[in-house]
Amino acid sequence: MKMVKLQKKNLNAFLAGLEKFGDLHGPVRRDTNDFAFQKVDAPEQIAHDCLRTILPPKKYFTKPVDTMFTFSEAEGYRAPDKDLHTKIILFGVHPCDIHGIKILDLVFGGQYRDEYYFARRRNAIVVGLDCMPDEYCFCRSTGTDFTEDGFDLFLSDIGSSYLVRVGTSLGDDIVLETSTLFQEIGDTDRRAYKRRSAQRINSFEVEIHLEDLPEIMDLEYESRIWQELGDKCLSCGTCSMVCPTCYCYDVVDQLNLDAKSGSRLRRWDSCLFKDYALVAGGHNFRADRGSRIKNRYFHKQRGFVAQFGRPSCVGCGRCIVSCPAAISLVDVLTKLRSRGNE
Amino acid sequence: MAKPIVGIFGLTGCAGDQLVILNCEDELLDLAGALDIRSFHMAMSDNDEDCDLDIALVEGSVVQPEEVEMLERIRSRARLLIAIGTCAVWGGVQAMKNEEQREKLKRQVYGPKGKDFGIIPSQPLSSFVRVDYAISGCPIEKDQFLQAALSLIHGDLPVLPDYAVCTECKMRENSCLLLERGELCLGPITVAGCNARCPAYGQPCIGCRGPVEEANVASEVNLLREKGFTLVDIQNRLRTFGGQSEVMQVAPTERGR
Ligand code: SF4
Ligand code: SF4
Ligand code: SF4
Ligand code: SF4
Repeated sequence: MKMVKLQKKNLNAFLAGLEKFGDLHGPVRRDTNDFAFQKVDAPEQIAHDCLRTILPPKKYFTKPVDTMFTFSEAEGYRAPDKDLHTKIILFGVHPCDIHGIKILDLVFGGQYRDEYYFARRRNAIVVGLDCMPDEYCFCRSTGTDFTEDGFDLFLSDIGSSYLVRVGTSLGDDIVLETSTLFQEIGDTDRRAYKRRSAQRINSFEVEIHLEDLPEIMDLEYESRIWQELGDKCLSCGTCSMVCPTCYCYDVVDQLNLDAKSGSRLRRWDSCLFKDYALVAGGHNFRADRGSRIKNRYFHKQRGFVAQFGRPSCVGCGRCIVSCPAAISLVDVLTKLRSRGNE
Repeated sequence: MAKPIVGIFGLTGCAGDQLVILNCEDELLDLAGALDIRSFHMAMSDNDEDCDLDIALVEGSVVQPEEVEMLERIRSRARLLIAIGTCAVWGGVQAMKNEEQREKLKRQVYGPKGKDFGIIPSQPLSSFVRVDYAISGCPIEKDQFLQAALSLIHGDLPVLPDYAVCTECKMRENSCLLLERGELCLGPITVAGCNARCPAYGQPCIGCRGPVEEANVASEVNLLREKGFTLVDIQNRLRTFGGQSEVMQVAPTERGR
């Protein structure tokens, strides 16, 4: 993989020079501790100290509420065009979120390829940025703390510069376009990069073991933990909204005033919602809240492993920091594992 | 398809929901064209008080014996009865003090004139008649109302949110007032549909749309108590809009503690 060096003082000049590749988006501060990816007019608006945005980058590829097509007697079905084809540069995506995108690529690229998703995905340049974990990050445990692909460029902090890994030919084009800002890396930079990596690895405060988790989950399928969680959970849907790998959506039609034309929308859904597993005839497969929260854990840590060979959780910690009921995935998994040993 | 015959009625409330309908300025003509509105006292004269109705939209809660009769009469005329607004759906702010003696309140407010009429604790329509659909909100959301009306015109059942304000709050990427600022936010137990209007302006949700389906009030109360709110604070907030709904009643033994 090609590696070059970008001095930190040149970062904004670099980002400002990317105009011809698309609109620049990056994390912007919303509140003291809250950040959100959004379009910026100038690179200075980007908050470089952002560890975790409220919503993950998935919002760019599968939007919270998305128009699939419009329909009318006169024009038939029409796909939306404009917002599927806006070119964007997504700056400041951390490794866990890049893995989140890779997981969504797998899901939306399955048997029924989702062209809405991939139209937007193709139009996004991903510029990754490394980070230092806080007390909620556990991407080291989920194997998503480093990434070899899923980005066009990836910047790692090596002191006064970034070591830039070039992941795609498009990334290479970008570097060539702004080549005066880049330098070759030397031995000191290589050493600094390795030091930084080691320091990062040693900074994780949370560790969970996932290797045999599917078996443990099967053993604990009837555990009372699920009922206890069901009593606590508010079904508020927050954990699904903020999760980089929750992808469920609901499809609804909205009519225009003539009641003959309208649009078909899809909207983020959550398996925690009461009506998620409600079917025609009024039967609800998961009427009980405990069974719904169990489903969330089983899908991520058990079902997904069976289907794709890895859990769909990328250890970003979002569901933990944003659950109003203080339900922590790390605590739940630790409890499941230790049950019977206490 | 014949236009649905519609009546729009108001019991006790602020008339805000009927105003929302009138405020559908851009859509009003189309809407009036798609519906055969026979009764709408707030907006027109020559109302038909007897015809059969396909759809009756009823705002407000029931606070007088006369209103029980009015409501029953509307019900007997209508194929579908739709409660609009939090008063009609849950009893509204006027249900906040339902446990207080009516006669005492009447004396305080109306003095001797109060002898001329009767009052009962404020209750939602569903306490007296079958309600086919409930569109809550204080007031109702214009877009939600229009979509519901259009679904009915088209012959479909309206789709209303089964999820909480938090869901829309996160979709909008608001900073969480409950977690970040420790504010008494009812978003987790309040039904969505307002696009988390208040948190988007930095104000906690006070539950004006009423409880979400299967609201976990016990868990909300626990987490608010852990944040240091007293039961009285919490109960006052819960009962502001959800007064009559059973789910919003904190266990009576805990009251006042
Ligand atoms: S389950 Fe939680 S920690 Fe795992 S990826 Fe989703 S939000 Fe992040
Ligand atoms: S964020 Fe917490 S309370 Fe809300 S649905 Fe998820 S687990 Fe339940
Ligand atoms: S601010 Fe209120 S509505 Fe928004 S996520 Fe937090 S608790 Fe939910
Ligand atoms: S956020 Fe809460 S109080 Fe505000 S409009 Fe919505 S439901 Fe009502």
